[in-house]
Amino acid sequence: MPLKRNNVVVSGQGDQAMIFAHGFGCDQHMWTEVARAFESDFRVILFDHVGAGASDLTSYDDQKYASLDGYASDVVEIGQELGLHGAVFVGHSVSSIIGALASIQAPEMFSSLVMVGPSPRYIDDNNYDGGFSEAQIEELLDFLAENHLGWSAAMGPAIMGNPEKPELGEALTKSFCATDPAIAREFARATFFSDNRADLPKISARTLVMQCKNDIIAPEYVGEYVHAHVPNSEYVLLDATGHCPNLSAPAKVIEAIRAFV
Amino acid sequence: MSEHNNIEDLADLYDNAPCGYLSLSSDGHIVKVNRTLADWLQHPPTALVDRPIHDILSFGGKIAYETHLAPILLMHGSVGEIALDLLDTEQTKIPVIANAAECRAKTGELLFTRLTLFKAADRLTFERSLIEAKVKAEQRALVERKAIEIRDQFVAVLGHDLRNPLAAVAAGTRMLTNSGHLDARDQMIVHEMDASLKRANKLIDDVLDLARGKLGGGFALNYKKNQDLRPVIEQVVTEILVVADDREIIIQLDVGDPVDCDPDRIAQLVSNLLANAVRHGAPDQSIVLAAHKTPKELIISVTNGGEPIPANAIGKLFEPFARGKALNSNQGLGLGLFIVDEIAKAHGGRMIVTSKKAETKFTFQMPLKKRAG
Repeated sequence: MPLKRNNVVVSGQGDQAMIFAHGFGCDQHMWTEVARAFESDFRVILFDHVGAGASDLTSYDDQKYASLDGYASDVVEIGQELGLHGAVFVGHSVSSIIGALASIQAPEMFSSLVMVGPSPRYIDDNNYDGGFSEAQIEELLDFLAENHLGWSAAMGPAIMGNPEKPELGEALTKSFCATDPAIAREFARATFFSDNRADLPKISARTLVMQCKNDIIAPEYVGEYVHAHVPNSEYVLLDATGHCPNLSAPAKVIEAIRAFV
Repeated sequence: MSEHNNIEDLADLYDNAPCGYLSLSSDGHIVKVNRTLADWLQHPPTALVDRPIHDILSFGGKIAYETHLAPILLMHGSVGEIALDLLDTEQTKIPVIANAAECRAKTGELLFTRLTLFKAADRLTFERSLIEAKVKAEQRALVERKAIEIRDQFVAVLGHDLRNPLAAVAAGTRMLTNSGHLDARDQMIVHEMDASLKRANKLIDDVLDLARGKLGGGFALNYKKNQDLRPVIEQVVTEILVVADDREIIIQLDVGDPVDCDPDRIAQLVSNLLANAVRHGAPDQSIVLAAHKTPKELIISVTNGGEPIPANAIGKLFEPFARGKALNSNQGLGLGLFIVDEIAKAHGGRMIVTSKKAETKFTFQMPLKKRAG
């Protein structure tokens, strides 16, 4: 049930498992290139959060997924189904927090945590600088409520293969990063209104905080905050810009993960 | 006009095209922008160059760009029909539809990302009204569903509560009958009262079945193993003949070994079919009740003579509240056949009706092995 619900795809070989989780706005395909590099040494697991990619949309429950805990319990269920023990969790953006919550729920399941562009709280709060104001997040939700174009699955056929990367072209599902616009908005709400600062010290897994430059979603000072508050953590600032180094600089991400594990 | 003047001026087309053009560097900075777009944004084109794309996007657009569009572009090299909000110098939003494509060097290195932008204010207004209509329709459907649920619950409660006074009246007629003091006229009156009570109870049963079915409980079957249907069917016939003693019912039972079913529901099905045959069949012709088994199915049929069912009514026979054209006080609510059909379906079977000049026949077929699920 969880494997179908979350469109879980398992590949690779190795005693240790490495599970990759996509963030808000995309699906498991954003990890394809990075994940492939680990298939020779790890049991590689990719999945879509409910509401994204080829997950089972009928499983979407607006109460459960109103908070990141709902997404984290899905990760734990996938881990239980696959019998994960001492696995590596690699999460992009909000999924690095989802992975942290899952590792707190089931500490034996994940021995290592890789957080790519994490933010425990996006909205500024007293002395905490998250990078966003509450009004800005409300504006984002309004934008998502009104601008459905570009999110729905119907856009699939409009996406053409990339001639420079033919391996990514046809093999990819047509619904790449497509999602139900209403669900996208609720995921945005759960993501950008989350506050998991108090959970960071509870993380027992050894952790790598991977940070990019010029990331407007998760600025450098937020990455440094995460590093300062996760007990057993390392910090690496990638020589890459933007919020998706797994796509814009996959080689650097692979290198950093390899050095860590 | 000379031929030369007919050749399109590409530089002018770029600058003054009826759409916005924008080229971004690999790190998301504006490297080139056409005059049309610069005018929309109330900037001289040169003032926009070297600024990050984020500077001309609304906050929502910026996050959507980073989390959704940028990944799609990196994966696929292009993306079409994306809604974005631009911001002009006065921070007024300009809704646009964008197409974007990467331009890469032969080595695979990303050179530019090119965007073509179309104003979409009217389109956004239209989309907003569609979204509003959708939300309204969903809300209305929810309210209606609730109202229907309340009505069905009301019917269920009402039906249930009507049983008690009816039971009291039935006890009264029984006491009168047993008193031994009734003359012939009194006995006839009490007999009629009993028949009316039976009808009233039957109506309540039907309404409760309907309400339960609608309330999502469906026709819950009380499946029992190895039921001998012969006594079940004979008991139904006896009951029917009590109220229709002037009619002939020919019984052809060849049901053989016991079957797995809900015997009470099968009795209800047969009873409803026979009551219908009595009500609608020609009084001077026999009713035939036949039951037999094939290797895979149990088949029960009830046949009566008389006027055929009009062709246009056949398709709706099994819908609730469907009635024949002849309305009289003897008729029920039109739930009998609906319930018959539901019982058939609950058993994994089905109802078949044929109606010709000579006879009308209702056939119930059910698989002997209950289907999975």
